[in-house]
Formats: sequence, C-alpha cells, structure tokens
Amino acid sequence: MRDLMPGQQRWVAALAETPLKAVDVLDTEAPPESQWKEAWKRLRRNPLFWMSSVLLALLAVVLAVPGLFTDADPTFCQLSDSLANGRAGHPFGFDKQGCDVWSRTLYGARASVLVGVLTTLLVATIGIVTGAIAGFYGTFPDSIVSRLGDIFFAIPLLLAAIVTLSIFNNLNPDRGFWGGCLAIVFTLALFAWPQITRQMRASVLQVKNLEFVDAAKAIGASPRVNLLRHVVPNSLAPVIVTSMISLGVFITTEATLSFLGLGLPSSVVSWGNDISAAQNLVRSGQDLSVMFVPASALAITVLAFILLGDAVRDALDPKAGKS
Amino acid sequence: MWWYVAKRLLQTIPVLLGATFIIYALVFLRPGDPIVGLFGDKPVNAATRAAIEAQYNLDQPFIVQWLLFLKDAIVFDFGQSYSGRSVNDLLAATFPTTIKLALMALVLELVLGVLAGTLAGLRKGKLFDSTMLVVSLVVIAVPIFVFGFVMQLFFGVKWDLVPPTVGANDSFKNLLLPATVLGLISFAYVLRLTRSAVAENLLADHVRTARAKGMSEGTVVRRHVLRNSLIPVITYLGTDLGALMAGAVVTEGIFNVNGVGGLAYDAIRTGESPTVVSVVTVMVLVYVVTSLLVDLLYAVLDPRIRYA
Amino acid sequence: MSERQPLLEVRDLDVAFRVNKQDVPAVRGANLTVHPGQTVAIVGESGSGKSTMAHAIIGLLPGTGHVTGGEILFEGKDIATARKKDIVALRGASIGLVPQDPMSNLNPMWRVGSQIKESLKANGIASGKVADRRVVELLEEAGLPEAQRRARQFPHEFSGGMRQRALIAMGLAARPKLLIADEPTSALDVTVQKQILDHLDTLTDELGVAVLLITHDLGLAAERADHLVVMYKGRIVESGPALEILQDPHHPYTQRLVASAPSLASQRLSSLEHRAEVREQAQRSAVQVAAVGDEAGAPPDDVITVQNLSKVFRLPGSSPFRKTDFLAVDDVSFSLRRGTTTAIVGESGSGKSTVARMVLGLLEPTSGTVTFDGVDVSDIGSRADKLALRRRMQPVFQNPYASLDPMYSVYRSIEEPLRTHDIGSSKEREARVRDLLEKVSLPASVMRRFPNELSGGQRQRVAIARALALEPEVVICDEAVSALDVLVQAQILTLLNDLQAELGLSYLFITHDLAVVRQIADDVLVMQNGKVVEAAPVETVFESPREDYTRALLDAIPGGSIPLGVVEAGDDLPRRGLDD
Repeated sequence: MRDLMPGQQRWVAALAETPLKAVDVLDTEAPPESQWKEAWKRLRRNPLFWMSSVLLALLAVVLAVPGLFTDADPTFCQLSDSLANGRAGHPFGFDKQGCDVWSRTLYGARASVLVGVLTTLLVATIGIVTGAIAGFYGTFPDSIVSRLGDIFFAIPLLLAAIVTLSIFNNLNPDRGFWGGCLAIVFTLALFAWPQITRQMRASVLQVKNLEFVDAAKAIGASPRVNLLRHVVPNSLAPVIVTSMISLGVFITTEATLSFLGLGLPSSVVSWGNDISAAQNLVRSGQDLSVMFVPASALAITVLAFILLGDAVRDALDPKAGKS
Repeated sequence: MWWYVAKRLLQTIPVLLGATFIIYALVFLRPGDPIVGLFGDKPVNAATRAAIEAQYNLDQPFIVQWLLFLKDAIVFDFGQSYSGRSVNDLLAATFPTTIKLALMALVLELVLGVLAGTLAGLRKGKLFDSTMLVVSLVVIAVPIFVFGFVMQLFFGVKWDLVPPTVGANDSFKNLLLPATVLGLISFAYVLRLTRSAVAENLLADHVRTARAKGMSEGTVVRRHVLRNSLIPVITYLGTDLGALMAGAVVTEGIFNVNGVGGLAYDAIRTGESPTVVSVVTVMVLVYVVTSLLVDLLYAVLDPRIRYA
Repeated sequence: MSERQPLLEVRDLDVAFRVNKQDVPAVRGANLTVHPGQTVAIVGESGSGKSTMAHAIIGLLPGTGHVTGGEILFEGKDIATARKKDIVALRGASIGLVPQDPMSNLNPMWRVGSQIKESLKANGIASGKVADRRVVELLEEAGLPEAQRRARQFPHEFSGGMRQRALIAMGLAARPKLLIADEPTSALDVTVQKQILDHLDTLTDELGVAVLLITHDLGLAAERADHLVVMYKGRIVESGPALEILQDPHHPYTQRLVASAPSLASQRLSSLEHRAEVREQAQRSAVQVAAVGDEAGAPPDDVITVQNLSKVFRLPGSSPFRKTDFLAVDDVSFSLRRGTTTAIVGESGSGKSTVARMVLGLLEPTSGTVTFDGVDVSDIGSRADKLALRRRMQPVFQNPYASLDPMYSVYRSIEEPLRTHDIGSSKEREARVRDLLEKVSLPASVMRRFPNELSGGQRQRVAIARALALEPEVVICDEAVSALDVLVQAQILTLLNDLQAELGLSYLFITHDLAVVRQIADDVLVMQNGKVVEAAPVETVFESPREDYTRALLDAIPGGSIPLGVVEAGDDLPRRGLDD
C-alpha cells in the first residue's frame, strides 16, 4: 500500500452531522399533487399569465354585456356626426358614417372573437382526431392523412381563403351574422388543420412508445382504449398551447380578409370591418383614431391569447421554449 | 444523396396534383357563367358560345378540364384568360416583381430576426430580451395592413423617406417599405424561434463540454450555439417564401405594387378562373421548390439527416 | 513520494442553487485533496452532490449554481473566487473534463476531429495542419482504430464507446494536470466500460495526469482509485484509502453502500433451502389452478417454454426500395420453471428485450413458439382466452419515469387492470388496491398521489403492484431495477424476492447486469447478438462459465475481484420496504 499523502488520512464524518435517512422514504405529509396541479402552481407564479387572464376576463365581460361600457347604439349613425370628435357618452368620437367608434368597437368584439374561437375549436378537433389516428395506427391511415396534410399545407392559406370566400360571396353576399362567421370559420379551418395534425401526430408518435402504453397493452387493454385513455391525454399539451396562440392569429386573419373585402358581410359589426372601413382615413392622413380604437382592441385581444399560450407552455414544460 | 433528392422530388408530385385539383375544384364550384361575364349584358349566340366553351374546355366534365389544364401546365403553358390575354404574359409581367419583393422581405426578416433573436436568447430575461419579446408580440398581434397604412403614412407621406406607392417602378428603394411590411410577421416568428433555440442550446451538454475545453465564450457561442440554433429557423423559412408571396396580396394592394398578388386578387373578383388557377399553381410550385431546397440545405447543415 | 504540494485542494466547500430567491445547498463543507498523478474517486448516489462538486471545480456550475463558501485551491491558487478569464485559461490546459453522457456531449453538427482540434486551438497548442495531425494521434492514443478516417466522421456515425474515446481524447488534448471524469462510462456496456477504463488508467499513468473520478459505483471506484471520497446528501461522510474503506467501512452510510453494491461478490438473496420451499408452493398453487380448470393431471413443471424463437426486423436499406433484414433474435429456446427466476443477460443489442416482448405478446415472432402452461400462445384465438392469458403473465418495465401514465393517480394505475378485466365492485377493487400497496410496502395514502410525486423506486413499487393486481403466475421484469440507485435497487430486489416466496411467482428477469443476476436468478441465459451463448444454473455461470463471452462479462463486473472484509451482506438493510 502506498504512503498516505497529506490531506488524505482516513476521515469519517460525525454521525450527528450526517444523519442516516431511510432509503427511499415517501413524504406522507405533503398534499397530493398531480402534474396539472404542479403546472398550475408554476402558472400562478407567472405575471404574464395574470396579465393575459385579466385582459381575457375583461374581454369576456365585454362579450357578454357590451352595454355595460356604453349607452350608444353601434348601428345608430348620423352623417351629421361624420368624423366628429369625442363628446360626453361618445369618448372616441364618430367614424365617417357618423357611427359611435367606441360602441362599435365594444359590440364588434363578438364577431371577431367568435370567429377566432370557433375556428380554433374546429381546427383543433380535426387536427387532434386526424393526428392521433395517423400517429397511433401508422401505415395506411398515416399515409392518407399525411399526404392530404401536405397538399392542404402547400396552398397558401390567405389565397385559398380568398378563393373560397369569393365562392360564398357569389352564392350569397349577405349571409347575416352567423352565416358570415361560419363561412370564415369553415374556410380557415379547411386550410389550417394540417399544422395541428402534424403536431399531434408527432406528439402521439412519441407517447405511444412509452412504457406505460406497453403496460396497458399487457393488461389486455384494446388499442382503442389505449389510444383514448393513455395516448391522447398525454399528447395534448403541445396542441393546446399552439391552439391558444393560433386563436389570436385567426382573429387577425379575419381582419385581413375583411380588409380585402372578403371577411364578414358589411352589415355585421366587427373589428375587421371597422378597421378596413377606416383605411382611407388613414391613407389620406385625415384621421387615425377611427382606426386606432378597433385596431388596438383587436391587438390587445390577440396579445392576451398569445401571452396565455406562452405562459401555459412554460408551465406545462418548464424546460422547453419552442415558438 | 441522389436517391434522397429523387425521393423528395417524387413526393412533390402528389402535392402538386392535389393542390391544383383542390383549387380547380374551388374555382369550378364558383357559381356564375363566365361567358355571360365575358360579354357583359350582350346576348351570346349559340355558335359563339360553343366555340368559347370548346376553347376553354368548358364543355368537358370537371375532371377532364383539370387533366387538360395539367397537360399544358407541365410545359408551363397556362393558356388564355377569359379576356383573351395570355396567362403566361400576365405572369411574366407580375411575377418578377413579387419574387423580388418576397426575397427582400425574406432577407430582411432572416438577418434582423436571427440577429435580434440571438442577442435576446443570450441575454434571456434581461431588458433587451423583454423589449424584443414585446416587439415580436405586438407585430404578431396587430393586423399587418394596419402596419402597412401607418408606415406608409409616416415613412412615405409625412417624412417622405421613401415613395408611398410603388407603381410601375419596382426599384430596390421603392420596394423597401412594402418588403419591410411584408416581412414583419415572419420577422417576429424568426426572432421568437431563434431566441428560444439559442436559450435552449446554451444549456446543452455539448456546450458545457466546449467550455471545458477552455474555449472563449464568444467562440463557444459562435461555433456551438448559433449553428445548432439555425436549424429550426431554416425549417421555418422553408414554408415562408410561399406564405410571403400569398401575403403579397395585402401588401401589394396597400403600396400599389404591380405584382402577382394584385393579379390574383383581381382575377378572383372577376371570376377569371384560368388566371386564378395558374397563379395558385405557380405559388404552390414555389412552395414545393423552396421546401425542397431547404430540406437539402438542412441536410447540409445537420449531418444527422439520413439520405435514406 | 517527493512532491507534497497537492494539485487540488478543496476546503470547506459550500455550493448552492438559487431557487425562488433562496439558496438551496447542494454541497456542504466538502474537503478533498488530489495529489499529482493520483486517482481520487467521489462515490455517491444521484443527488449526493458529487457531480455538482466536479462542476464547481472546473467552474461550470449549471444554471443558478454558485459557490457560497470555502475555497478550491488549484496548485495553491483559489479558483472559487478567481476571475472568469483566469478560469477559462485553466480549463482544458490545466483541468480537463470527460463528461458523463457520450450521446449528448458531442456537438452533432461538427466532425469529431474538428471538435478535438478546438481544444488544441483554444489552448494555443497547435493549429492548422499540425493540429489535424495531432488530432489523429490523440484519437489513436485514446484507442480509436482507424483514427485518420474517424476524425473526419460525425458523432452520429460513432458508437457510444467510440464517442467516449473521442471525449477522452478531447479531455486530454491539452495535456491537463487534472482530469475530471464524471461517470465516464456509466452509459456504456460493461465490457466496453472495462476496456475504456483500463485504457484511461494506462493513459493517465503514462502522462502522469491526476484523475478525479466521479461515479455511483463503489466497486468501480475501489478498483480504479487510490483515495475514496463517499458523498451523501451533499456532504462527505467518509474518505480515505480506497481498499481500507471498502473492507472496513466506518460510517453507517458507507456500510450500507458496501452491503448493497451488487457487484461486490454478492449472493442469492435467499438460501437454497428456502428456494426449494418456494418452488413447492408454486407447484401446489398451479395444481390447484389446474383442478379448478377441470383438467386432469399435474401441470407441466415449466410454466413458459420458448422454442426456436426468432425475430427479423426489416430496416430500410442503403439503396432504394430495398430493405435489409436484421436478425434481432436468432433461434432462442429456453424454459422457465414454475416458482423460479430465469435471467436473460446481455449487452445492448443482444436481443434480450425483444425476447421479453415476444413472450409478453407485444411483438409477433417471425418464427418459433412460446408455450404457456402447455398451450401454444399463437393458437389462442378468442379475445376472452387472450385476456385470460394476459392475466397470468404481467410485465414490469425499466424506466420508472415512463412506466406509469403521468395522468393517472397511483390508485387508477393499479386499478386499471382490475377494471379492464371487470374484477369486483368498485369497493372490492379499492380494497384490493390497498392490499397490493401493502404487499409492495407503500402506505395506502399513496393512492391519491401521482407518479410525478414519487421517486424512481417508489414508482417501480407501484408498477410491481399493478403487475400483481391480476394475480399473475409469471412476472416479466425488463431491466426493472437498472435505472435505480444501488440502495433502492437492493430494496426492490429484496421485495421481488420476498414476493416470489409469498406468491409462488415465476420471474423472467431481463438485465444487462450480471451482478444483479446473482442476487435473484436460478437459471441464466447469456445472450449475444441475438443468440443464446450460454444457458446454465446461476452457480455454474458464476463458478465455471463455459464460454469466453460469459467470462468476459464476469471479468467486466467492476470490483468483482476485490476481497471483502467482515461486512455481512444485507445486514443493516431493511428486509422489505420502507422503514420510517
């Protein structure tokens, strides 16, 4: 044996300083916490989450009772008020047609948000179902779904939406509130689903190879039960995050379509219609505020959804930070 | 390698077929008689009608019309519009401008997005990062045409830095403002992508190993963080050129650019189906080609991609 | 020894991580001395702070980690408080690092050679063509054949062992005085591990490099190091000459560690006599089952018989439209006697897990048969019969973090098999879950918890409870203890052993670790490249192995040859489950 070197003599820590704990003890005191609860705890600590929550709560009130914030009727317009400045009861003045800008913005929230929410729900449903089937069953269903997705993904969304909506316009130019909203919802959903499908498929491919899926198989759970009870619930997180962010994107897309004259029928009060109606005022430098109010409302709403999506993603997966 | 390219080329065939089919179907579904539109209110006699129908294959079933279109499109012959102009001429007159516009936007968003994203990712949580985050969110949240109008008003009209509209002269300077507006949203996405990729890669094991070698922080970032972080950005850009060309519909309208977006928009409104189908086909082709190029670039950047 | 100035001296080192604006200590009051040319090992379980200590020494603490007290003296100079520039100058040139995971520690984007060249350039040793030549020499030195060609390849073209050699070349490129080797071989197969450690030993001896070896494996540490430091929960509990500690551990934790280390000349956990009883009991219960099933005669002694089992995977080939066949399992036959444990041992790629999956019916065999209790499994047609078979054979998988559905509470996880098979009312099922939890020594209160709240060992207990819910006769453990720390591993093995005795279970035990085999198995199957190379009772395999490959595996068990002192195996280990 070699000589002992300085600083390397036999040394044992005092037991009092390094008490021996039982191996692998369970803390029976702590309250049970699922991963959702843990995620919720992380979410609660994020100020961005609270910011977006407050904004969305406010938005919900506006959607439910817009009359709470204004007494003016959005459809009561007098040309004598055209571009008039704000006055009592009409804080942001009037647009070119003499309609109250603030009131139209409040009432316009319904159509814009409805389009965003319904499109997102439809896209998420299509995407989750097709993505789960493609990822879980593979082979033939996968080829069909993936190739179809490639095809729809290759057509630029905006152009496809213009072509499709021009059909609706030709069929029936004035579709009313619901007809107008649903036409846009179906059009956007028709060309936007592949993104969610791809994401869901990738997520399912990852989850279906985990051992708990094999364990369920070994118990005798049928593939369908396995897919619905184990694979899909564990694959949803990324899709939920993307859906929240794309909700905002759909709202802006609706506005863009309105700008192109292909959005909601002009009889419907909506942000998109108001913003595009104000375009000439901005172009001529005549009046910025008529566009500014609905555009800000739209931007804040979209921002709230994106922030919420970001915060939820950070909470669900504290390490990742994909955009 | 060649097998990989061939395979990718083969995969594009069903995409092209399917995409043109869908557009054809949509255009076909559009109600209204194109021939009536062509002659205005004047009555059309049966013989003329038959001749025109034969010329545009309108007397054929839908599927046959589509196949006949494909047959000509393979050799880039897109036929004539209802108004009697060669679609190829229309495309030739507008396409170069839009390509120029889209490429300028692409370069702008790539350079600025990667630069800002990298700096933000390296300084995650600091002031610059937060500022960039807010900027990117605002850009995504505000409809792009609002930016268009506001920037046109200030840069073009009030401060007179660039011409507010482009018109026939598609010089670099004239296109600068529309290209900026067109690339804005993608800039925000590139920034966000780069930022999170850089921040994530900074924590990678191999980066720690690189530091352990005694390399300076700058070299570590340059060689081991940046290059790895570009992968998701490149992937994004693969789908972006197509999206930019479609987005040109809006930008070209605002700045009065004589491009393919305006051509498509007018054609859709007036029911010029041959033009609509041709424009969309060309755009899908652009998308398919760029994503193919990007896949190859990706394979060069990332040696792990198997050519199998 | 002439030189008495230590190379590295760590004094009262405190390291903490900042979590929610508070310092959470990771290393407390650590002292450590490394002399030039010496090998010192830090041994500890995961979370003991051993890797944190290594990272503190090279100034690469991750995230919010920082030194909160004490000093790190390298050649007499404190580097804990040194400026960043000075530490960067030390890295590579004076202190080298061989990191843990060969898969993630090389940048996939750059050629291996250029990544080693970086080390030469950064430390001003060589550049350009000279550096290229030096890189090849370094790779050769690290024991990589065809170094010239390999230097031009990318990491993904390397096997795990080759990557680790490249990382060693990288760590030694600038000829540091101290090499920190952080679990340098824990991700590798045992035989490769031995080769690489042997090579590292020779190399550092020749170059006179001191090595600070971080490892969880006491046997490995004792075999390789002169001086041993044992860490536990952020503190050093014992240090001194390696052999002395191993043969006469003073601190209770070290004693526990020595007793549990499977590699250190371990024995079957229960006596032979006891084993015979277990087998008898299993036989009896099988007869009962057969009687209920109205079948005449005693059931066969072998509960599972596998004959000529083969599996071919079709992989995409190098040329278009052509697939190459990969023979993952090649003509494997064996049988599992009722009430016993048959272990299948092999390194990665040996096909052992593929065999397990085929026996479980999760994978279709290409050819060959699996017979369960005299019935060919592939003959079972009806869904009801298939379900019945599932009840009699259940798996426990390797990865404790993936084997339970994170969305399911412990109760739902264990109840799922009962529900799937429509067993009992919901009240009866709850009683059964309670009973099962007790069997695996978990408190009933754990029912409402979720996997993310449990440790790896606790999750494996839940997985075992789930497997036992259907009262199976056979449990297939696929690397069921491989991902666990030694002490927890020993606990789970004891649990499995006790359950076997209590319930008359038969185990098919898949593992890469021969040391574990000795603790649990009756019969052993050694597999290599899809083939069975040796099949024999466990004593035969350990005492007189026939095949070279088996011998190589045995030799590669770290610390296997170290004579132990007076420690009684399992003495102060809880026999079962969790004491307080």
